[in-house]
Amino acid sequence: MIDLEQAEVIPDMWREVFESEDIRFCFNCGSCISVCPASNADPPLLIRRLARMVLLGLEDELLDEDTPWSCVSCSKCEEVCPMGVRPFELGLAIRRWQVRNDETRIPPSLVELYKEGYTQPVSRALETRAAVGLGELPTIDKDPELLKAYQKMLMATDVVSNNDYMFKG
Amino acid sequence: MSKYGLFLGCNTPALRPDVEHGIRYSMEKLGVDLVDLPGYVCCPAFGTFPSSDEYAQLAVNAWNLSLAEEQGVNLAVQCGSCYSSLRMGSHIMEEAPKREKVNEILAKGGKHYQGKARPHHMLDILYNEVGVDRIQGKLQRRLDGLRAIVQFPCHTLYPSDVVGFEPDKGPPHVLTDLLEALGASVEHYSLEHQCCGGAGGFHKADSGAAHGFLKSKLDAIAAETEADLIVVSCITCLMWMDNQQKTLSEGNGHSYSLPVFDLNQLLALCLGAPPEHVAAISTVPRERITDRFK
Ligand code: SF4
Ligand code: SF4
Repeated sequence: MIDLEQAEVIPDMWREVFESEDIRFCFNCGSCISVCPASNADPPLLIRRLARMVLLGLEDELLDEDTPWSCVSCSKCEEVCPMGVRPFELGLAIRRWQVRNDETRIPPSLVELYKEGYTQPVSRALETRAAVGLGELPTIDKDPELLKAYQKMLMATDVVSNNDYMFKG
Repeated sequence: MSKYGLFLGCNTPALRPDVEHGIRYSMEKLGVDLVDLPGYVCCPAFGTFPSSDEYAQLAVNAWNLSLAEEQGVNLAVQCGSCYSSLRMGSHIMEEAPKREKVNEILAKGGKHYQGKARPHHMLDILYNEVGVDRIQGKLQRRLDGLRAIVQFPCHTLYPSDVVGFEPDKGPPHVLTDLLEALGASVEHYSLEHQCCGGAGGFHKADSGAAHGFLKSKLDAIAAETEADLIVVSCITCLMWMDNQQKTLSEGNGHSYSLPVFDLNQLLALCLGAPPEHVAAISTVPRERITDRFK
């Protein structure tokens, strides 16, 4: 339980978290939770509760929440939300807000994506591919100029440029 | 002959290239020309840039979309989350001001996205473009006598106004219709629409719940159907439902071994492809299905 007497409340915080004004229409119906697979996790992802935390501006509590990261990205909640809140997008927006405020939240996979372009060894799976009769793919590492261009593009994004020490070298 | 840029993502070409071969083989036989997208990168997956920086997400989406656009084609995608990431990204970038802002970032990499190239899921192309009749007309072999259950790829269903391609409202049936066209009979069960549990963030957060999802599904399938196989159309569903049956069987007394196939693998087999090319990699043995095609 969050003790609202004790909690520090920042009334306009939702504007920093979620670009969409529609979050204010969330009326706590819980439809999003009723269809959410991750609401069965321990601890449960309760997107309605997260919407409340955002609207109330419970900064410290929201920074500590791990549950937005257990979403399976099925978007069932978006389908059923009667108020157009887009709960799935809200969950992603909360993750991004956490990342902006706490660099330990940056997914380590970003470094891999910056260096190689993929989350799996796509360009090194030659034997596995040959075994089923397939050749090499035109992956981005085959064209060093293109890989450089891709990295230059990523360097122009906030998450990479603000944390460039993670990506260089 | 229609033409698409084949967007393979990361898991399929690296870990399950037999599925890739099944896609290439079956689509070509059905008159869909798939071209490679040299220099494509991860979609980006929801747990990466979409979870850290919206414009980085859109820029990477746009990078991939622009590669198809340069060749004047739309994208064909099998992986559910690749499809959803690219589809939602292209939807957001329909708004010109957003797209312009993305293009400023994209320009640093020498690319530009006009907003023309759009991603399509493999099931969409098969059902709405190729069509059940044309598929049936080309089959060399059939799945007659086999009973299947399906796992609908959630990323192709919701939100329906952005990613959907089912022909009508109500329960989804594109995957079942395609599978029945191959001759299999599709059985239904109570937990048919439950999540497979395979999403990365979810099983990292609570591996017990993720395995519980699969276990309860498999138990319901066993109790309520006589299914010989599971059919999916998403690489995450495929790998999770296939690989984790072994984990569930360990120390359980009960052994789970229901073969799992991607629809395009079965399609390729029915169109004459050799199993060792299009259905070679699995944890659960599937010879009892693939032997029919030797
Ligand atoms: S998208 Fe995420 S929050 Fe929404 S229903 Fe699916 S798992 Fe739950
Ligand atoms: S379904 Fe929509 S309105 Fe209802 S609690 Fe969830 S976010 Fe709020």
